[in-house]
Amino acid sequence: MKRWRYLLGKIGWAFFTILFVLVLNFFLFRVLPGDPARAGVHDPRLKKEAVEAIRVRYGLDKPVINCFESLNPIKVGSCGVNPLETQFFIYIGNLLKGELGISYHSNRPVADVLLERLWNTVILIGAGQILAVIVGVIFGVFAAWKARTNVDYGALIISLIAWSLPTFWLGIILLFWGSNNGLPIGGMQTPGMSSQPFFVRFGDVLSHMLLPTLTYTIVYMGEYMLIMRSSLLDVLSEDYILTAKAKGLNTFQILKDHALKNAMLPLVTVIAINLGFTMAGAVQIESVFSWPGLGGAIYEAVNRRDFPVLQGAFLLIAVGVIVANLLADLTYSYLDPRVQTE
Amino acid sequence: MPDPTSPSPTSRFMDFWRVFRRNRMGLAGLVMLVVIVFVAVFADAIAPYDVQSSIDVTTSDIYNPPSAQHWLGTDDAGKDVFSNFIFGARVSLTVGFFAAFISIFIGGVIGIVAGFFGGRIENIFMRFTDIMLVIPDLPLMIVIMALTKKPSLINVIFVIGLLGWTTTARIVRSQTLAVKSRKFVLRARAIGAGKGHIIRRHILPLVMPILVVNAVLVVSLAILNESTLSFLGLGDPTALSWGQMLNYAFGRGAMSTGAWWALVTPGFGIVWVVLGLTLFGHGLEQVLNPRLETHHLMRPLPIVKNDATGQPLLHSTGERVALLKPILLRADSLSISYINDGTRPARAVENVSFTLREGELLGLVGESGCGKTTLMLGLLRLLPAAGQIVNGEVWFGDKELTALTEEEMEDVRWKGISIIFQGAMNALNPVRTVGDQIAEAIVKHDATMKGDALTARVIELLDLVGIAADHKEHYPHQYSGGMRQRAMIAMALACNPKVVIADEPTTALDVMIQAQVLELLDSLRKKLGLSIIFVTHDLGVVAEMCDSVLVMYGGVTAEYSDVDTIYNNPRHPYTQELLKAFPDLSHPEKRLTSIPGYPPKLDELPAGCRFAPRCPLVFERCRVEEPKVISVGERHMASCHLLEEDE
Repeated sequence: MKRWRYLLGKIGWAFFTILFVLVLNFFLFRVLPGDPARAGVHDPRLKKEAVEAIRVRYGLDKPVINCFESLNPIKVGSCGVNPLETQFFIYIGNLLKGELGISYHSNRPVADVLLERLWNTVILIGAGQILAVIVGVIFGVFAAWKARTNVDYGALIISLIAWSLPTFWLGIILLFWGSNNGLPIGGMQTPGMSSQPFFVRFGDVLSHMLLPTLTYTIVYMGEYMLIMRSSLLDVLSEDYILTAKAKGLNTFQILKDHALKNAMLPLVTVIAINLGFTMAGAVQIESVFSWPGLGGAIYEAVNRRDFPVLQGAFLLIAVGVIVANLLADLTYSYLDPRVQTE
Repeated sequence: MPDPTSPSPTSRFMDFWRVFRRNRMGLAGLVMLVVIVFVAVFADAIAPYDVQSSIDVTTSDIYNPPSAQHWLGTDDAGKDVFSNFIFGARVSLTVGFFAAFISIFIGGVIGIVAGFFGGRIENIFMRFTDIMLVIPDLPLMIVIMALTKKPSLINVIFVIGLLGWTTTARIVRSQTLAVKSRKFVLRARAIGAGKGHIIRRHILPLVMPILVVNAVLVVSLAILNESTLSFLGLGDPTALSWGQMLNYAFGRGAMSTGAWWALVTPGFGIVWVVLGLTLFGHGLEQVLNPRLETHHLMRPLPIVKNDATGQPLLHSTGERVALLKPILLRADSLSISYINDGTRPARAVENVSFTLREGELLGLVGESGCGKTTLMLGLLRLLPAAGQIVNGEVWFGDKELTALTEEEMEDVRWKGISIIFQGAMNALNPVRTVGDQIAEAIVKHDATMKGDALTARVIELLDLVGIAADHKEHYPHQYSGGMRQRAMIAMALACNPKVVIADEPTTALDVMIQAQVLELLDSLRKKLGLSIIFVTHDLGVVAEMCDSVLVMYGGVTAEYSDVDTIYNNPRHPYTQELLKAFPDLSHPEKRLTSIPGYPPKLDELPAGCRFAPRCPLVFERCRVEEPKVISVGERHMASCHLLEEDE
C-alpha cells in the first residue's frame, strides 16, 4: 500500500514537471524575439497576403491563450474564444498527436527528423555512460579501499583533471589526434557503406563511435569516481563492515558482499540527476564529431535558425531526462529495501 | 555553546589559513588561480601584441606555427594566439565570476528563506528548485541564447547566472535547516530577536563556509558553460573569450591546416582555471568540513612488540568455575596504542592480562573510555586503522593470535571467537536479510553447508534466540531493537564458537528488553557451555551472572579477581568507588555516590597512577610513579601503591 503511494507520488510529480516543461517551451519560443517566422510578420517588405499566409501556416492567426492577448502579435480573438482554438491548446493537442511542427530547413515534420536521430544519441550516451560508470566505479573502489595512500591520491588527481576538461575541447583534441592516425573524422558511418555486409557496416560504426565514446567516458568518469570513493568510504566505516570482518570474511568478500551494493545505491540517483549534464555533453560531442543525434540536431538548428527543430529537440531531451529520473527513483526503491517502508 | 560570531574575522581567517596552508591540493589550486587572475588583470602589460588592431595583418600571417615572434603561433585572422589567450582570460573570468555571483545570490536567498521560514514558502521554493534541477540546463541555455536576437556578454552572464542556482539553493537550505535548530538560534528567537537580525548574525556566518565551497564549484561550471556556449557560436562575437577562440579556430580550418596551437592554447586556459578552482574547492572542503578518511578495511598496522614496559606476568586468579577446567583464552601483558600522525601515541590498553577458562563468564567493567572495547577488538585483531598492538601475547588454545597471518586470523574469527557488538542497529547490513547474514557466517567456515541443511541451521539458530523462522527473510529495519540484538546473538553462535565476546550487548535497549537479552545469554551459556567475556558498566549484571571480574581504569588493570572477592573485599580505590555508585539492596538506606571527574584522556595520561586525579586516597607517590599490578591475595590482583605499602 505504502509502496503504491510512493510510486504514484513519483509518477504524478514527473507528470507535473513535464507539464511545466511544456508550458516553458511554449512561452519561451513566443516571448523571446529571435524566431524568424514571427519576425517575418513584421517585415515591411512583405505583401499583406504573404504575411497572412505566414500567420496561417504557423498558426499565428490564433490568440496565444485566453485572456493573454498581449502575447498575441496581431490582437485577434478575445477572452471569449473557444480555448481549444488558442495557440497553446493547439500546440498541446498537436503534441498529443505526436506532431512537433515543420522544420524551416528541410520542410519535413520535426518529429520524423528527431526520431531518426534519437537512437543515435541513445547509443552514444548509453555506451559512454556505461563505460564511464564502470571505469569510475573501479577507480573509486580502489581509491576508497586504499584511502590515504598514493593509489588514492593518484586516482583523485586523475578524476579532478578529467572533471575539469571542457567536453568539446577534449573532443577536438581527440579528433585532431584521431584524424592524423587513420580514424574517421566524424559522422556515424562512411558514405557508400550500405551495400556492404552487416558486420562490415557494424565495424564501421564502431570505429566512428570510438572517439566520441572515449571523450564521453573520460569527462564523466571523474565525477563517478569521486562519488563512489566518498560513498564507499562512508560504508566501509560502518559497524556492519566490522561485523563482516569479525565473521572472518576476507577483504574481497566484504567488498563484494557488503560494501559495493550499499555504496552504489547513491550512485543510481546521481546517474539519473546527471542525465541532464549528460545531454550537455551529448550536444558538445555530437557537434564536434558531427554525430547525427539529438545534440547534433540542436547544434545544426541553432546555426540554421531552425526553431521548430530546436523547440522539438529541447522538449524531447527534457522529457527524456525527466522520465529517466523517474525510472531511477523507481529502481532505487526496488534496490534499497528501506525505501519501501518509509 | 559560545556564540560563533564572537572571534574577530581576522583571527578566524588566520586560524583557517594555518590549516589550509598544509593542504597541498588546495594550495596548488589557489596558486593556479592567483596566477591566472594576475594575467587577466595585467593583460595589457603582459600581452606582446595589441589584439584589437589589425593594421599589419596579411594573408601570409594566417595560422603561422609557433615562432620567435609569435610564441604560440597565429590564428585564423593572423592574430597572435598568445596575446589572444591573455586577453581571453579577462573575458572568461569576468563572465564566470559575474554569472556565478548571480547564481549564488539567487540560490543563497532561496535556500535561506526556504530553510528559515519553512512551511508553505519552503514547499513552493523547493518544488520549483526540484523542477529546475531536472531540466537539462545547457540545452535550455542554448535555446534561450538562440532566441535572443543579438548575443552579448551581458546576455550570456544573465542566462548562465539565472539558470545555475539550483544546487546552491538545495545545499544552503539544508545547512540553514541544520543551523536553525541550534541552541543559540533558539535562544535568540526566544528573547525576541528580529528575523533579519537572526539571519544576519546567526545563520549567515554558519552557512557561509558551505556557500563558499559551493561558490567555487559554481564559478567553474559558469566558466565551462560560457566556453561551451561561445564554442557553439552563441557567445558575443566581439568578446574573444577562450570559447570564442575555439569556435573560430574549429570553424575556420584549424583542424584541416593542422594548426594545433590555435586549438590547444584556449582549451589549456579553461582547464587551468577550472582545475585551479576544483583543487581549491577540494582543499576548502577538506579544511572546512574535515572527515576522517579511515575505515575497517584499511591495512592494519603491523604488530610491533617494542613497548618494553612489560611487567611480571601473574595470572593465577580463582574462578567460581572449577580450577581444573582448561584455559581457553589467555591474554599476557597486552598493550595497544592508537598512532596518529603528529600526536603522541594514545596508550589505550597497557599490560592487561587475564585468563578465560572453559564455561567461564568473565565480566569486564569500567567507565566508558577505559579501553574495554579496544582490548576486545585487539584480541580479534579488529582494531581501527590507527590501532596497534605494541606488546603482549594472546593465546587461544595452542595458537598465539598476535603471531598469526591475516588469513589464519580469519579462520579464528567467529569459528573460534565470535563477538556481539553494541548497538545491533548498525552492526547488521541494512540491505541484506537477517537469515542471509547468518547463513553467510556458516558457509564461510563450513563450505559443505548448503541448501536445506543451511536453511535448517539458520532456523535452528533463530529458534534458539526465540525468533520465528519466517523472520529470516526480513531486513534488519523490520526488526525491533531487542530482536536485532537477539539475531546478533544467533549470528554469534552460528559457527559454534568456543568463546563469545559480548561488548555491551544491552546498551541502547530499554530496561525490559535488556533483562530479556541478558537472560537469554545466560541460558544459552548454560545450555551450550559457552565461555563468555561480558563487557559492561552494569555492576548488577556482573554480580548476578559473572564468575570473575576484571576492572579496568584508563587502559590498565585496576583489579582482577573472582566475583565474590570483588564485591566483598574490593582493594582498589576505583573498585570501591564504583561499588559505592551502585545500589546495594541489603543496605537500601546507603547514599549512592558517583565518582567526580572523568577517566583520563588516553593521549594526556597523568605521570603516575592514572586514577590519582580522582582518587580519594591519593598521596604523594601516586602522582609520580605508576603502580604495578601485584597479587594482593589468593587469585586476587590489583594495582595500587596503598596495597604495596601494606606488604
